[in-house]
Amino acid sequence: MNATAAVRTAAPILLIEDEASVTAFVRAALERRGYSVVSAATGAEGIEQLTGKRYCGVISDIRMPGSMNGAEVHAWIQKNRPELRARIILISGDTANSETQALLDQSDTPCLEKPFRVQHLLSVVEKTFGKP
Amino acid sequence: MRGAKAVSSDSVTAKRSTQVARVQRGKRECVRTPAHRADELMDLARDAAQSQSLPDFLRRFAERTMRMLEAEWCGVAIFQGESTEVYSSSSSTQGKAGNLGKALGAAARTITEDVTNCPLRSLPFLTPAEKQLKFDAVFARIGAGDGEQLGCVCLLRQPKPLAAADRRLLEALASHAALSLVNSRRFSQLERSKRQWVEDIDAISDYIVVHDRRWKIVRTNRSLATVLGAPPVALVGEPMDRLREIAAGGSELPCPFCHDPQRTREEYMLAAQDRVYWISTSRTPNASEDDARTIHVLKDITDQREAERRYRDLFDSIQEGLFFATPEGRFLDVNDAMVRMLGYGSREELLRAEVSHHLYPDPGSREKVLQMLSERTVLRNYEETLRRKDGSLLHTLQNLTAARDAQGQIVQIRGLMLDVTEQRNFQSQLQRERDFNQKVLNTTQSMILVLDTAGLITYANRRCYEAGYRKSELIGHRLVEWVEASHGGEFNGALDTTAHGQQVDNLELRVRRSDGSMGHFSVSLSPMRDEQNAVNNLVVVMTDITDAAILQAKLAHAEKMATIGRLVSGVAHEVNNPLAAILGFTDLLLENPEVPEAARQDLRIILHETQRTKVIVQDLLSFARQRPAQREPVQVNVVLRQTIKLRSYDFASHGVEVAETLEEELPAAMGDAQQLQQVFLNILNNAYDAVQEAQRRGRIEIRTAQRGHQVEVLISDNGTGIADPERIFDPFYTTKQAGKGTGLGLSICYGIVRAHGGEIQCWNNVGGEGSTFLVRLPAVTEAALATAKEAGR
Repeated sequence: MNATAAVRTAAPILLIEDEASVTAFVRAALERRGYSVVSAATGAEGIEQLTGKRYCGVISDIRMPGSMNGAEVHAWIQKNRPELRARIILISGDTANSETQALLDQSDTPCLEKPFRVQHLLSVVEKTFGKP
Repeated sequence: MRGAKAVSSDSVTAKRSTQVARVQRGKRECVRTPAHRADELMDLARDAAQSQSLPDFLRRFAERTMRMLEAEWCGVAIFQGESTEVYSSSSSTQGKAGNLGKALGAAARTITEDVTNCPLRSLPFLTPAEKQLKFDAVFARIGAGDGEQLGCVCLLRQPKPLAAADRRLLEALASHAALSLVNSRRFSQLERSKRQWVEDIDAISDYIVVHDRRWKIVRTNRSLATVLGAPPVALVGEPMDRLREIAAGGSELPCPFCHDPQRTREEYMLAAQDRVYWISTSRTPNASEDDARTIHVLKDITDQREAERRYRDLFDSIQEGLFFATPEGRFLDVNDAMVRMLGYGSREELLRAEVSHHLYPDPGSREKVLQMLSERTVLRNYEETLRRKDGSLLHTLQNLTAARDAQGQIVQIRGLMLDVTEQRNFQSQLQRERDFNQKVLNTTQSMILVLDTAGLITYANRRCYEAGYRKSELIGHRLVEWVEASHGGEFNGALDTTAHGQQVDNLELRVRRSDGSMGHFSVSLSPMRDEQNAVNNLVVVMTDITDAAILQAKLAHAEKMATIGRLVSGVAHEVNNPLAAILGFTDLLLENPEVPEAARQDLRIILHETQRTKVIVQDLLSFARQRPAQREPVQVNVVLRQTIKLRSYDFASHGVEVAETLEEELPAAMGDAQQLQQVFLNILNNAYDAVQEAQRRGRIEIRTAQRGHQVEVLISDNGTGIADPERIFDPFYTTKQAGKGTGLGLSICYGIVRAHGGEIQCWNNVGGEGSTFLVRLPAVTEAALATAKEAGR
């Protein structure tokens, strides 16, 4: 258990976020805590990064430009990367959106509502992905 | 005297008498023989039969008698009424017996025996000198068969007794005289009668002409002769053709008046030139060829005909139908108007008996008419429907009179008939139109009023009364009284425009309803004109469009809110990204031990303001949030009490009184208790702020009630009121100081209540201070409860 956890913790967190400033502060906060972070600016890029690589978890914004949004990334992982199925954290800028609401209600996927405090981010990540 | 006169006038006879007297005196002896006397009597009888003049005969009779009886003188006294005429034998005795004869005639009236012989001195009426004469008087009475004394034969003789033979002779002579007198009297009566008859016929103004079989005039009366310009006698023997001048166009026969000589009677009318005659012809029946007579009486009926023609002209030219009918309804005579009215080709066609069956669509009506006529004789303005020839109905108005026989039975009905079909059709059309208008007026959902030019209400349709207005508050009142004061000017302007003949459409005015509330009305005004085209009335159509206006406002508001929601959602998202970075980096900096304390202070301010910004954005998002609320039965009273408790400390410490009037039997509302608490809290906060601002002792009233299938919550305050009730639910609308409110609170309330399927309204209190918020929520129904349970399982 510890061995696999250690292996897994050694793996980086994939951060999919189109907003550069948000990516910057989340990466800074996580790396400062000891996590390694791989980032992607779009959903498609995130899927690309996921292919053939190991991650300890995926943090994805829900509303993103391009062909794939957070919900679709979530669905792709559920289908193609079953080991990451419970290792997803979503970030939402707009929980009023009914689609977002439906997604969150269906899966017990944790969600961070922008703007969030650093402490809140770290506690959710630790709880979902484990300590670094 | 007449006797004397007659003698002298007929000198021929007098001369002959003298000669006869002379001859007879010569053979006196012969006369006295019975054979002679018989001859004399025979002569006398012949003379009587042949005599044309009675006086002449009487004189000859007197002479013959004197001779036969050898008298000195003879006279025949004729009694005619009181007077006596004496016809004497000869002029030779005239001087001697003229006056004496008269006296003897008078004395003869006193004689009572058939034959009397007496001395002169014993007689009355004679002068003393005459009485001294040495003669005897012999009287023989002339009596008619019935005892009437016609006269007396008087003789003067030498005094000697009357021989029996003489007496018998005298009697015979007297009876001869009587016979002649009676005959003469009859004859003269006949003559007189004949003359009278001619006079009578001549006096007749009708023309009379008699002709024989050879067409010769036998007689005409004077009237006809006068017309022909000839004395009646001159026309006798003339051909009847002579009369053609007054009978142009008469018969082809030689007599212009004869048509069929075989008939004993003919009557017809002849129009000749400018006169019209009624010709009555009689022919003497079974008469021999010579005696056959044809009598024509020509009655000039021109004037009568003229009068008749005028009457007929009037009868036919009059535009009203005139008729004579049997009690059964068959026409005896009708005028042209009547024929026209009933659509027949001719009078004759209409007079046919079988027409009457077609004429009366309701056979019973005849009996009704007869019944009424038998009671009243005259029937005025009786309405009857008849059937025209073509089957269409004719509505008539009739004035009828019954003509009765001696027994009082109605024998004829005379009437005047007016065609009122058009009026009736017009009337029924008018009635239909009136009914239609009435129905439209009464069933329309609009209030329709008629105003006079002074603006006073003269009519209001049923809808007005259904809407609760009372007649006494409408009729005679000014409509403007009901219009909200601020709209009065506009309404009066519209009245003025309409009074000048122009229509005003869809004027939107606030008008007081019968219950005192103000409604939003669409008002149209139209002018009504009189015959002179002057506007004399105004028609006002008013429709309460309050509900429509509210609905429209709600729709507009909902649309506005949805748009704002979408906008806010987008903005919030965009703001959240930089806000997340600001908050994140601030946190990171604050965690950095290398950051000096001075900078740390600033960072904490950044953090605080960022968090404030975050709250604003969260408010925005929760307003825009379209997440469905929880649906479960909520006790509204409980939620309200909890909400009040949240603020009770503040209220109490600031002297704001809260009055609760909560209906205990209030049904549960279907909804989300958390969200509803947010709604009530927002409203209470708003009320608290308002009463604080008003700087008076604040009072907040909270009431709940059930209204139909809804739960109603009313929250009133006595605060400053709302500057613009229509905008209060708009996001960011606030009257509070900067930093005291985002202007989103009531927008969020609006969103929540709408999401519950309820409604929220607010208004400034009428005639008071502050404002009132109304929240309506759907009450829990059995069905809603079952659905909720099903979902909860």
